[in-house]
Amino acid sequence: MSTTQTDVDKRDSDKSFRKLLGENPRPAAVWLGVLALLLALEIGRVFAGIDTLFAVIGFVVDLFAATPAAIGGNVAGTLGPAAGAVATVVFGFALAFAVSIPVSEYVPDATVDVLGLELSRRGHRWAKRVELASALVAVAALIAYTPVGGAFSAAIAAITGSVDALSSALPSLTSRELISNTGHRTPDGGWDDTFLGLSPAVAWAIRTGLVFAYATALLAWVWRGYETYRTHYRGADWTPTDDTVRRFRSNYWGLFGFAIVFIFVVLALWAPAVSPVEAEHNIYEPNANGFEYLDENGEVQEVNHVFANLDSRSDGQNTVGLLSYDDYDRWAPLGTTNRGQDMMTHLSYGARTSLTIGMTAIGLGAFVAVVLSLLSAYYKGITDIATVMTSDTIQAVPALLLIMLVSVVFQEADHPIAQPLDGGLLLALIFAFTLWPGMWRAIRGPSLQVSEQEWVDAAKSYGQTPLRTMQKHMAPYIAGYILIYASLLIGGVIISTAALTFLGLGINPPTPEWGRLIDGGRTYVATSSWHVATVPGIAIVLVVVAFNALGDAIRDAIDPEADVDEAEAATAGGGA
Amino acid sequence: MVEVRDLKTYYDSGSLLDNRPVKAVDGVSFDIRRGETLGLVGESGCGKTTLGRTLIQLEDATDGEIFFDGTDITEIRGDQLYEWRQNAQMVFQDPDSSLNDRMTVGEIVREPLDVHEWKTPAERRERVRDLLDKVGLEAEHYYRYPHQFSGGQRQRIGIARTLALNPEFIVLDEPVSALDVSVQAEIINLLEDLQDEFDLTYLFIAHDLSVVRHICDRVAVMYLGNIMEIGPTEELFTDPANPYTHALLSAIPKPDPTASRDRITLHGTPPNPRYPPSGCPFSTRCPARIRPDGYEELDDDLWDSLNSFREILRERMRAERSIRERLRERFGMETRFATMDDTYEELFGDVAVPDEVEEILTEVADTAGDHDEAEALDRFNQAFGSVCDGVGASGVDEGVKPAFHQVSESGRLSYCHRHESEYRETADVIEARN
Repeated sequence: MSTTQTDVDKRDSDKSFRKLLGENPRPAAVWLGVLALLLALEIGRVFAGIDTLFAVIGFVVDLFAATPAAIGGNVAGTLGPAAGAVATVVFGFALAFAVSIPVSEYVPDATVDVLGLELSRRGHRWAKRVELASALVAVAALIAYTPVGGAFSAAIAAITGSVDALSSALPSLTSRELISNTGHRTPDGGWDDTFLGLSPAVAWAIRTGLVFAYATALLAWVWRGYETYRTHYRGADWTPTDDTVRRFRSNYWGLFGFAIVFIFVVLALWAPAVSPVEAEHNIYEPNANGFEYLDENGEVQEVNHVFANLDSRSDGQNTVGLLSYDDYDRWAPLGTTNRGQDMMTHLSYGARTSLTIGMTAIGLGAFVAVVLSLLSAYYKGITDIATVMTSDTIQAVPALLLIMLVSVVFQEADHPIAQPLDGGLLLALIFAFTLWPGMWRAIRGPSLQVSEQEWVDAAKSYGQTPLRTMQKHMAPYIAGYILIYASLLIGGVIISTAALTFLGLGINPPTPEWGRLIDGGRTYVATSSWHVATVPGIAIVLVVVAFNALGDAIRDAIDPEADVDEAEAATAGGGA
Repeated sequence: MVEVRDLKTYYDSGSLLDNRPVKAVDGVSFDIRRGETLGLVGESGCGKTTLGRTLIQLEDATDGEIFFDGTDITEIRGDQLYEWRQNAQMVFQDPDSSLNDRMTVGEIVREPLDVHEWKTPAERRERVRDLLDKVGLEAEHYYRYPHQFSGGQRQRIGIARTLALNPEFIVLDEPVSALDVSVQAEIINLLEDLQDEFDLTYLFIAHDLSVVRHICDRVAVMYLGNIMEIGPTEELFTDPANPYTHALLSAIPKPDPTASRDRITLHGTPPNPRYPPSGCPFSTRCPARIRPDGYEELDDDLWDSLNSFREILRERMRAERSIRERLRERFGMETRFATMDDTYEELFGDVAVPDEVEEILTEVADTAGDHDEAEALDRFNQAFGSVCDGVGASGVDEGVKPAFHQVSESGRLSYCHRHESEYRETADVIEARN
């Protein structure tokens, strides 16, 4: 290698992301432009999503904010008010400190230098955390105990209120207002109030088709982003991810799973758009909302959903089957339930419930499992033993019994946790609690294995901190495993939720849930109303199978030995 | 530059009851001078890697001191340790395991710089490119992944990472043993070039003696956690003083098929480092072991059997018999302990045993047969023990250790009783006994 050659290489090889982006911004600009267009088309829904996000964040923050006071209250009840106040402060600070540990990395060092102390590196880190925690506590106290709190809540309310207003004022491509399928027949045989005067069935089909077309476009946009990054902005010609993606793309069973999961997720996210009637009207408050229909005398009448639902039940005697209209000319693509509600609406909102519970349970469980497996594999010894004991203790309790017990206790007490999704969040938390030991067990082996690699020693030898070592040198090797177990278990969570609801535990009405549909329809399977239990039953089977297929495919995709022949050939070719 | 004094690194067994640690490094003292390459050789499991890891504080020393430019690094913690780590780095044995496959080469080499917040990110990238160039890779390899490289190239990446912080002292833990022979030479030459360019001090751990002879200025020979001999390379290779060095060197294959040098075969396996011998660590297998007066002229085969017999006694002594085994024995059933008679027969069945020896042996075997191994061992030592086994003037095991004797003008040291004036020199004894 000559010197001039090296110099040329050096100049050419500076391929950092920022530099490449600066040299060739066009593909990225085009890609972002497409995103802007896509978002503009569904701007109303985007704001509705932000609104929901705010609500979730608000709920979580409220929950955490309420705990120090609640614990203080409990302590005050036994040890007196002084002890209670101390407990509130101590627990509040502990909570703030826990939050500050991951956050403090992103806080500039200058905040500590202000104190003017001579600190060691370690002391510096802890000082930053304490400082951040104190600031958090101070802000929280300010909001909780001074008039500032009122102004703060007013500001928050103003923001959420305006987002809420925007979400209903701004148009969306797939909105119910734009492509309406709720209208009534006119005496001359046409339709009134529907999209272009088309029949509700066609209007609904157009809207649903648009939803899936839009979602597919979004997916294509994401894929395009990956490709753009790979061809234009990535310094490396090849990364291990490329192989993973290539293997996944040629796995048809996995692609099938991905497709079904995609449909399931779209169903959940666009539930308001794909349901033929509004859930709020048809399921949650049927007696407060009415609609117009053309009665047999040829007159347009107004009727409440609650009465219309009574006449539209699919209960063996009456049946509103697949792809049909009920007596009030409401389009029911999947028929009605045994209580006369619309099945498609129920199914899409039920998908929302299942997905929320599954994601929350698996997300929390996997997070706990990963953190504990990294800690126990890195520190070994007493940390490992303590984790083994804790997880064994949890696994020793029969999960079903625990779930029933805890859900009854919380629901009887009407605890705030038991309120979202009519017990759905509670269920998700219990699932997370019972599932993490299994997931931790599954990834314990790989974590211990990776912690024995010499690159972990190497990191220690140049002084890398334990936290960063776990993040950079261990976690990436665990991620694949946890992804597989998570996608396999999420099917289990969905089916368990349905099973519990089927038994009358779990999620209470009116929150739509697939298990309750099956429970309601099971006596009519042999009658003309067979669809009531069959449709959600098939949906559950498909979704669970799809998640399993996806998990399998991910496992095959991330396992480099899956195409060992090719790998061997490459090594032989590239050997020194 | 590095002064090691009576360094001990023990590994805890982790069991609560039997808490005898594994003595991986058991009292080692030596110096490494600035700019030199000290070789550390010995068979697998003798503690050389542990010693290397302790020197760069990947393991905590159990006892003893390591002075690095006058600072005892076994004492420093926190910030001081973090700062010190820039001075001492390690090249690992297995290039497959020492590089994180999920990071690009650039990220790997850059990480030490990031950890120590060296200058600006742009300067760090520039330095990584320089380092890649220095170790014979291309700057454009920055964005490649380690497993696109061959073993030799991966080791070059590892060396680049080691050099990133400009260390003064580098522990090379068998850096070429996992590589192709053709690549080994390239890496060795690279290491030598880098040493010249950056004034590096190496501790070169290896079991390939020819490589050691090529690269090292001085060599330390290690056995069972102890340094047996340490001195200038050429001198040590041509005129070994310690019996273990003799044995080790005799194992180097000779390209000349007509060469007549005898190979010294060591009997048995190295002792369990949890239970090292009480005297000289090499006493159980030494080809030049000092024999007590009166038995000097016994047959070599008989001595081999006697040594094995002692090892069996020692092993029986520490093996705990479970209740179940005691019961089986009581009822005359077979246990995993062979009876003393069988052992005796196996060891001494086909060697000629003089009467006076036989008398003692029978006595010892009977005592051991009654499960009083300690007593039997004492009796055995009284008759056949020597200073090598830790037997002192009183005739019982006092744990007498050899001392380091200076065996040449260059200051070469050897850890052996043979250098005391009353005993014959090692080379003669080995010659005579072979």
